[in-house]
Amino acid sequence: MSKPLRIGFVLLALALLVSGAWIGLAWAPPDREMGHVQRIMYMHVPSAWMALLAATMNFGTCVAYLWKASWKKDAFAEATAEVGLLFGTIAILLGAIWGRPTWGVYWAWDPRLTTMAILLVAYAGYLALRRFVDDPDRRAVWSAVVGIIIAVDVPVVYFSVKWWKSLHQVQSTPKTVDPQMVLALRWNAFAFLAVLIIFLVARYRIALASRMRETTVPDAPSGAREAVV
Amino acid sequence: MNTLNLVLAAVGEGRIRGGWGYVWTAYGIAWTGLSLYALSLWARWPREERK
Repeated sequence: MSKPLRIGFVLLALALLVSGAWIGLAWAPPDREMGHVQRIMYMHVPSAWMALLAATMNFGTCVAYLWKASWKKDAFAEATAEVGLLFGTIAILLGAIWGRPTWGVYWAWDPRLTTMAILLVAYAGYLALRRFVDDPDRRAVWSAVVGIIIAVDVPVVYFSVKWWKSLHQVQSTPKTVDPQMVLALRWNAFAFLAVLIIFLVARYRIALASRMRETTVPDAPSGAREAVV
Repeated sequence: MNTLNLVLAAVGEGRIRGGWGYVWTAYGIAWTGLSLYALSLWARWPREERK
């Protein structure tokens, strides 16, 4: 992608974010029960969606790496884990803030909250593992296996509200929500998707450059796979 | 439009009044988190690609 296109995409993402904040804060109506506090949804839900999307991409990339190894796949897996952890952390923090006025507590050991917390701790561990292993080849294989194990929690997070009826509400559908709220949520979801793409591309290039430096130095491990496939 | 105004008037401000402090805190955390991460990406950007 050429530089003007990249700059244009970043500006588009910023415009979507700013307009999305205005739509969520000023244009969308207050909720019948939760009043203005419900506006947190326009940041909380897209963050959670992006975290689960990044986790799903991490799973796919880990499987693809074990199927046919390449530094590009390893670098992308690293990017999805870190960016997913960022969005997941934002989602859980915003959920806690939203929980205080609506549930009366910042935190409850609700199945949705607990499984999401487990996912975030697991990705923090995944990233720590990557830092502790010096051999790039071994690090890529180990983290791919760990990434696949972590991904077991992703459908559990999504379906937890259906499997165990608890404090966290089940997923809403456009049929049950005010059209203005649906538009505000979708607008912010696209804004967050644009940010996710930018972060993933940037983090991938950083990780790939790091792999190149590691594998092209004279004392690189003999088991290192091909530089770029 | 009249119907929408009628509905909005009936809904009012919702059962939970106020709460803007929570809303601003949440938006602030989201924006700060995204901005700081963008800054960390810029700081870690490979030197060879900056040229």
